[in-house]
Amino acid sequence: MKEKDPEWKTAVLEKNGKAGENTQERQKKIKTAEKPASHNAGQPAIAVSERRFRQTDLPAHFIERRMRPRINTQQPPPQAPPRLEDYEPIIGKPELDEIRFLARHLRGKTVKMVNSTAVGGGVAEILNRLIPLLTELEIPTRWDVITGGNDFFEVTKGFHNALQGGEYNLTQQIKDIFMSYTEQNRQRMEFAEDLFVIHDPQPVGLVRSKSQKRGKWIWRCHVDLSNPHPGVWDFLKPMVEQYDATIFSAPAFTRQLTGPQYLFYPSIDPLSEKNKDLPEEYVNKVCDDFGIDRSRPVITQISRFDRLKDPVGVVESYKLVKKYVDCQLVLAGGGASDDPEGAVVLQEVMEAAGDDPDIIILNLPPWSALEINALQRASTVIVQKSLKEGFGLTVTEGLWKEKPVVAGAVGGIPTQIVHKLTGVLVHSVEGCAYQIRYLLTHPEFAAQMGKNGREHAKENFLITVNLKRWLLLFQVLLGMAKPNTVL
Amino acid sequence: MATAPQLPITRPRWARSPFYFNSASHLLRIGREKATTLQELLESLRTCPESSIFQHTFQTLAEHHFIREGFSNDFSHWAFASCNEVELAEQLAAIDVREFTFIATLRERLIHIIETYLQKNLRAATRVAMEPFYLMASDLVVVPTPYVARNLEEFADGLRKVSIHAIYYHFIDARLRLKLNTNDFSVWLEKELDMGHAADKLNRIDIYTSTLEGVRRSILKVVETEMGRA
Repeated sequence: MKEKDPEWKTAVLEKNGKAGENTQERQKKIKTAEKPASHNAGQPAIAVSERRFRQTDLPAHFIERRMRPRINTQQPPPQAPPRLEDYEPIIGKPELDEIRFLARHLRGKTVKMVNSTAVGGGVAEILNRLIPLLTELEIPTRWDVITGGNDFFEVTKGFHNALQGGEYNLTQQIKDIFMSYTEQNRQRMEFAEDLFVIHDPQPVGLVRSKSQKRGKWIWRCHVDLSNPHPGVWDFLKPMVEQYDATIFSAPAFTRQLTGPQYLFYPSIDPLSEKNKDLPEEYVNKVCDDFGIDRSRPVITQISRFDRLKDPVGVVESYKLVKKYVDCQLVLAGGGASDDPEGAVVLQEVMEAAGDDPDIIILNLPPWSALEINALQRASTVIVQKSLKEGFGLTVTEGLWKEKPVVAGAVGGIPTQIVHKLTGVLVHSVEGCAYQIRYLLTHPEFAAQMGKNGREHAKENFLITVNLKRWLLLFQVLLGMAKPNTVL
Repeated sequence: MATAPQLPITRPRWARSPFYFNSASHLLRIGREKATTLQELLESLRTCPESSIFQHTFQTLAEHHFIREGFSNDFSHWAFASCNEVELAEQLAAIDVREFTFIATLRERLIHIIETYLQKNLRAATRVAMEPFYLMASDLVVVPTPYVARNLEEFADGLRKVSIHAIYYHFIDARLRLKLNTNDFSVWLEKELDMGHAADKLNRIDIYTSTLEGVRRSILKVVETEMGRA
């Protein structure tokens, strides 16, 4: 606040002016398109290679790569999880010492983590990293996965959508299916640990095994509960209320509950393939494979082809930027091969992109972490122009890579970005375009923002910070640590 | 054979009580209050727990320790970025938390600034902000570190090695513990090593125009100057 900031005022005017109408129109379009009888449904999507580009001065090899990008079709073998000491060059010895000290008091305490799937999905990804670290710190942690028939997982999928504001017809039969599988899982599992961490709504009912004598129960909710289906929430709430503590990913995602609620930001692993440092040669190779010209600015949005990520809005923003700055747009994501809706959105994006050869659209397979990492590192500006979002991990990934990030001010993103200091929040196509232009034409400001963003990610969004929060919470719940006293 | 002239042996001055470097970790609790207008924020400020005021003023400095300019406290940032009330934001940003040794006094100051501003700008009170303000609270847990100082050299060594959270804990958070307009480093230097001048110099370091790493460097500069004198 110590400096005047005239550009900021301009951006606010854009947010409040025409731009708002534009967003509303897009929201309306999304609602229409979400209906099952979408006019595009069933039509085959255009393959990326079928796009035709207009005449351009671009060297032929760029055009060739943009039409036929070299996409890795081989799934690489899984990476071994890192050890705690591997993080020392990133977070420093004092931080690591602090983690070890916090863990020393918990040595021998046992933890059970429960979720609904062992592979795929963000929660499994987090647990795959977190549990080896807890075990290394001599806090034996067991990971259990609930089981159920197709009928159970259909119900939980319905609940998942309903809790995030979707429509749902909750019947007694549905409640019975949920409770019956909850009981089966309760009977199958043993609950002898000191701490139980139950992830998400699917296994929430396991808390019925809570004993007065032993163990503290924590519900880690990764879902945005700001606008839940009332019936589904009323059904689940009495179970949630039995927990000793609940954890949410953003303050906006919570409900009024009687017990203490904690804020744990979703974290990224700086040593994962998606985030680890890469040699410049590899980044160049990936750019070469995809026809990206590194001599000109690159604007990138990484996300699946989903209307809520507003890829068409990103194309529109790019077109406004392109009038002033010669740049390229990379839209890279997945989900278009196995999801009919994704294929439709991909087609819409390609239509919006038209014959502009500087819009590079990449439909990548799920094992493209290294390529995505390289694309982010090759970017001048990273965009995440979502219209609805939980916690945008691609935002954190961009911050970690020291890139200026322009993101939609929705869901958990305002928690990730301190506007104008660690990134920029936008509300419209025009606002997004203006901010990208500003960053491209003020590289020193963009570089400082990138530096701040990386520090922000280091301070709040790394797996090591997350681990520290778990250790603190365990100590507080077990009565070992009291606020404002020395451990 | 001529003998070399004997140089006076300088011994480090030893403290009567050593300085134990601690660090601070915190758990963020989500509060019950949420403000969508400045009037609602004002009402929340009157009723929220002290731990919330602490979180959004003192603790937020630790969370944003890497920002050199443009960030003072969460209330100011919200008034600026979400309410577009630049004058109010400037007034709130001018609050220096180090002037406060009690959260209650800090709360009164925040309320006074917002109340006065809203009396002059009636429409600002109920204008809906672009993003709501969620009141959080912080539970600070103090974690000992292996670093202990019995003299100035060991003190400088500790300062170089501890995490930035330790600097925050001893230099900024200390005021609320000590209930004095000073910090743990200054108190120790003055009490244990009779270095009132250095203690005073540390106390004048501006935390709002520097990152916490910058603050660490400034502290070290003062300490190293004293070492040079000894």
